[in-house]
Amino acid sequence: MNSYALTMILLSVLSQVAGQIWLKKALDSNSIASRQRKAVTFACAIAGLALSFFVSLGLLQKYDLSYYYPFQGLSVIIVTLAAYLFLKERITLQLSLGMILISAGVILVSAS
Amino acid sequence: MKPSTLPFLRSAYFLLLLDALFITASQVFLKIGATETARVPSVAQWLGFTGLYSNWVWVGIVCLILSFVCWMKVLRRMPLNIAFMLSNVVHILIPISCWLFLKEVITPTRWSGIALVTIGLMIVATPTVKLEERL
Repeated sequence: MNSYALTMILLSVLSQVAGQIWLKKALDSNSIASRQRKAVTFACAIAGLALSFFVSLGLLQKYDLSYYYPFQGLSVIIVTLAAYLFLKERITLQLSLGMILISAGVILVSAS
Repeated sequence: MKPSTLPFLRSAYFLLLLDALFITASQVFLKIGATETARVPSVAQWLGFTGLYSNWVWVGIVCLILSFVCWMKVLRRMPLNIAFMLSNVVHILIPISCWLFLKEVITPTRWSGIALVTIGLMIVATPTVKLEERL
């Protein structure tokens, strides 16, 4: 797989994860953040999700759907790594096993 | 319709199935629309804006919205980790639809990759949901 496709796929998955996390934060009724802060977060969420959508549309113009869609599994890996980096969450054996399987699967698809 | 099917039609599982079907349909429609508009000259090809010229893409967007509505209803009746785990069925429905409707050629390598991704997602469904809740 060429580096263009890889970059675009990573961009689409990253922006989707970011968009979803921002959306959750913006809509969270238990959060103590101010109205303005939540509005900014909500705008970021829409931007992230829109970016992800259009990048994936661009990818679909070039590649098969069955080639592109399995990469959505990478979002789980990104969530796990983000939780590890920012929240110091432990990466359990279960998570490691799942991430290895997903990575192996994604590598196989990229070679197909 | 048999009386015994009615409870299923009202259940959260049916909504989850609808959600999966809407997602699958939306991806297929988006792909059809993307293929239609692939040759349209664009100022930024990496952003598929030209896809918006296709009606199929708009149908795909509507299906995405409908899937989101179903998903919200599902989450009111089912814990997120189970819903997320079951929703991974789309990773099987989509390649099958690609083969059936889009006539895509899916090699055994690709099927193996898809299988590994699906199994991996099922394994980490519950812990991932917990992590997402904390992020």
